[in-house]
Amino acid sequence: MRRGILAFGLFVGVMALVPAFVQNAFVLRIVTELFMWIVLAITWDVMAGYAGYLNFGHGAFFGAGAYVTAILMMRYGWPFFVTLPVAGLFAGVAAFLAGIPTLRLKGAYFAIATWALALAVQQLALVLDITGGPDGMRLPPFLDPVFFFYLILAVAVATFLLLWVLLEWAPFGLKLKSIREDESGAMALGLNPARIKVQAFILSAVPAGVLGGIYAFWITFIDPASVLADIITDQAMVMAVFGGLGTLLGPVIGAIIVFSFKTIFWAYLSDYQVLYLIILGGGIALTVVFLPNGIWGTIIGHIQGRNALHKGMSLNMPPGRSPVQGADVND
Amino acid sequence: MLLLPQALVDGLLIGGIYITIAIGFSLAYGVMHIIDFAVGEWIMLGAFLGLYLSQWTQMEPLLLLPVVFIVFGVLGYLFQPVIYRVLSGKKGNPLLMALVFTFGLAIAFKGLGLTVFGFFSRSIPSAMAANSFTFVKGDFFVTIPVIRLIGLVYAIGVTLVLSWILKRTDFGLAIQALAQNKEAAGLMGISAKKTNSWVYGIYVGISAMSGVLIGCMFSISAQMGSKYTVLSFFVVVLAGMGFLAGVPWAAFLLGMVQSFFLIYFDPGYTLLAVFIILYTVLLISPKGLFGKGV
Amino acid sequence: MRRFHPITVLIIALLLVLPQAALAERDFYKVGVITSLSGDLATGGNVTKRGYDLWAQTLNAAGGIEINGQKYKVELVYGDAQSKPDQGASAAERLATQEKVDFVLGPYSSGVTLAAAPVLEKYKIPMITGSAESPMIWLQKFYYTFGTIPPVNYTGASPIETLMALDPPPKSAMILGSNDTFSKATAEAFKEAAEKAGIEIKKFNIVPAGQDLMSFMSLAKALKPDLVAFGGHDEELINLVKALLQINYTPKALLMHYGVTEPAFVEALGKNAEQVYGASVWTETVHAKGEDLWADAAAYAKDAEAAFKVPADYTQAGSTAAGIAFQAALRQIKAVPPLDEAEREALVKALEKLDIQTFYGRVKFAEEGQYYHANIGLSPLTVQIQGGKPVIVGPEAEAQSAPQYPMTPWDKR
Repeated sequence: MRRGILAFGLFVGVMALVPAFVQNAFVLRIVTELFMWIVLAITWDVMAGYAGYLNFGHGAFFGAGAYVTAILMMRYGWPFFVTLPVAGLFAGVAAFLAGIPTLRLKGAYFAIATWALALAVQQLALVLDITGGPDGMRLPPFLDPVFFFYLILAVAVATFLLLWVLLEWAPFGLKLKSIREDESGAMALGLNPARIKVQAFILSAVPAGVLGGIYAFWITFIDPASVLADIITDQAMVMAVFGGLGTLLGPVIGAIIVFSFKTIFWAYLSDYQVLYLIILGGGIALTVVFLPNGIWGTIIGHIQGRNALHKGMSLNMPPGRSPVQGADVND
Repeated sequence: MLLLPQALVDGLLIGGIYITIAIGFSLAYGVMHIIDFAVGEWIMLGAFLGLYLSQWTQMEPLLLLPVVFIVFGVLGYLFQPVIYRVLSGKKGNPLLMALVFTFGLAIAFKGLGLTVFGFFSRSIPSAMAANSFTFVKGDFFVTIPVIRLIGLVYAIGVTLVLSWILKRTDFGLAIQALAQNKEAAGLMGISAKKTNSWVYGIYVGISAMSGVLIGCMFSISAQMGSKYTVLSFFVVVLAGMGFLAGVPWAAFLLGMVQSFFLIYFDPGYTLLAVFIILYTVLLISPKGLFGKGV
Repeated sequence: MRRFHPITVLIIALLLVLPQAALAERDFYKVGVITSLSGDLATGGNVTKRGYDLWAQTLNAAGGIEINGQKYKVELVYGDAQSKPDQGASAAERLATQEKVDFVLGPYSSGVTLAAAPVLEKYKIPMITGSAESPMIWLQKFYYTFGTIPPVNYTGASPIETLMALDPPPKSAMILGSNDTFSKATAEAFKEAAEKAGIEIKKFNIVPAGQDLMSFMSLAKALKPDLVAFGGHDEELINLVKALLQINYTPKALLMHYGVTEPAFVEALGKNAEQVYGASVWTETVHAKGEDLWADAAAYAKDAEAAFKVPADYTQAGSTAAGIAFQAALRQIKAVPPLDEAEREALVKALEKLDIQTFYGRVKFAEEGQYYHANIGLSPLTVQIQGGKPVIVGPEAEAQSAPQYPMTPWDKR
């Protein structure tokens, strides 16, 4: 654990120094975007990996946050920084209100219900006047790459620390996992699954909302087709699964790999965009077939297996046992 | 009021299209418990096969449906073992894994489609597309486009054939046994692998055929898949996942909502209404309209 | 919590040392192209790419842009916007800082333009979009952004005026638009022009994109409007015609926007595409005398057909014209590559003053008002599909054929 904190501190320190060495605005933009995806992937994993609930509407929190900031800034003249807590709060309240009824649903029903809700939000943004409808909204350009780099880095670090403490140290994480493994069992232990699930839902929504607010000001233009698109959730999902669900570091690694691949392909092989789809799609499918625990999940599986062997522990728990088992435990 | 009969008919006909894209998927979910993100891509691929076949043979595309069914049925049958491997994996959450697997598949298929078919929208020319029956009585009128009627008849036909197979044949009993209890079915000598392959083949074949019908009614393009995936998911979930008999009702409900909103309310809110109704139904009845989903 | 895996560190390190293009002396212009080569709008994006490519190929085959007796070629560098505004902004930033482009040929869609333009303002790099035509862009008054295709509210009125000149003119209309920014603006432009012309508007609605339009067309059958006007993208236009066909209602006139001039429209619908009206600023038969590269529209169409095996539409022509506008402006200011900031500033000034004749028609960017920096040199045309090709039927001065009106019913074709 000590080593973990050390590595984390070192990583944050190195990252904080990046703008001092990298003056190139494009590279900064890319790294900033990477951190954005890391946050989206780890917050999606709170519900999917830890609680066992597939949220197909995660992107709606992000988009709602973007619209809160845009509307407050452009329609009511609020300063940018004041809008961010509101964006987060809005996402949190939305998660609370939507979570109470929706989290009663299970499995695929929950997934599709959240998806329907997210699509409804997108349609709402398309027909309302305050959101600008399909024309979207423009924000005043404030194109300081260093500013946005630090801001999103700060959100990423804060989110990571918060989740680390809550999910890996505090009892909250264990409670959540017990719900994933066996919800009625958890209830028998005196837990209140409904409440814990809603708490987790809010926990996953707030950072996404804040991030959306920053995104709106950063990109300077938002419309329903971009900030409320399915693809945001889909991409976060792919990153999280690729890296390994139910771990904090898995989605981070997944985000880094998928995003780097995507960006390098995009920047230097623009002519082969269609090929990119085939490679990305094929890559996802093959990962699922050969590394069902994701990259990080497979690695820690091996490490644990090896450690167990070294310590002469019994091997009742097979190496590579996944942190996400939900379904087959119940079978 | 004048449009009431037309609105009802339109709702039924739109519903017919929803049945065609959802019925195979519902069957596959009922047996294999797979949420297949590639359902829209199978529809897209089927549509293009229909387009090219009809251009090549100069035949009415609707007559080519059996060919499309066989080609994609075989494809699906051969492809199923890969999905089976994902679904029966001991590691991870198989439901989620299959979902992500097919999601990757969908992306790759779309890329393939764009490479082979190009970006432009196409249309499958069917001689039936321009025909319609019109009934007039006083100020009331009803127009029934032949191609949509064919779609509806096809949808109901497929539904009936599938339920007949499920209820009256040994193969159907095997499927039902599998859907209810994998281990017990295995003990009874039912090969899950083989049955699943058949089911997946049937599902892919049906979806591909639906693509041809859709291409006769609408435009098609290599990017059309995801739209139909969403619709298919919604119908299947509304029906109750894997509950075949619920599919037509769910499809008609969504069709009616659309048709009535377009005609009687603000059309701009049509999709909003569809999504909100779907969500609300799920909240009230968490296992689909009839509470009979798996 | 465990330590970071070496792979993570390696990848981060790789990202940080991405190759930085050196600002070397070069004897060619580096031209950035930001457009949607993938994603939902890839169809249109690839049409713009064809237009930009054809400009560069033809220009380079002729030796390049001649300045002070020396010829300088152009090299295109692509940035795929993936049909997403944020990726458009990233592409702009990459082309500006990594590739150090001299100027930019712009996006296909309005959303990407709105996100990419501020970034280019920051780096003071001029951009001409050969395609984006939402009126919103020009209201933002981007100093460095120009467009060769006039916005839809500039072109949308023309077909209505053409129809009003008929005897008898259409008296009633049903107008609908798909709910995206371009289509909505188109429908609103149609509505405004129709109201002005005194046409009774029986129904006006914005419908969700990709909606099944059959039941909505049942309404048309009940209301019997003379004119059905629709703002939408290619696949929706095809869907609308097929919906009308299925419900068996033939309005006297069916009006759409430029989408009908896309070859895919006629190809998909065949005989049912006949007599559909559209608005455009260019067809391969338009009267235009070009000073650069192509003498007239027909010559361009021939080259385009030879290069890509598909007929050219007006998006492609507008994209090529964007290149020609840069070429003409560069010649005027006699700036040789690479362009520094002062030269790029001069380029903007030259573009503002530019008034040239091309195969595409006159290119003249507005210097003020609601069309700020959009091309107002062209006259909006009314086209109709006749004999499988878009033919100009209005305004009278440009017309090459009489409008066919009313439409032949679907079942008589």
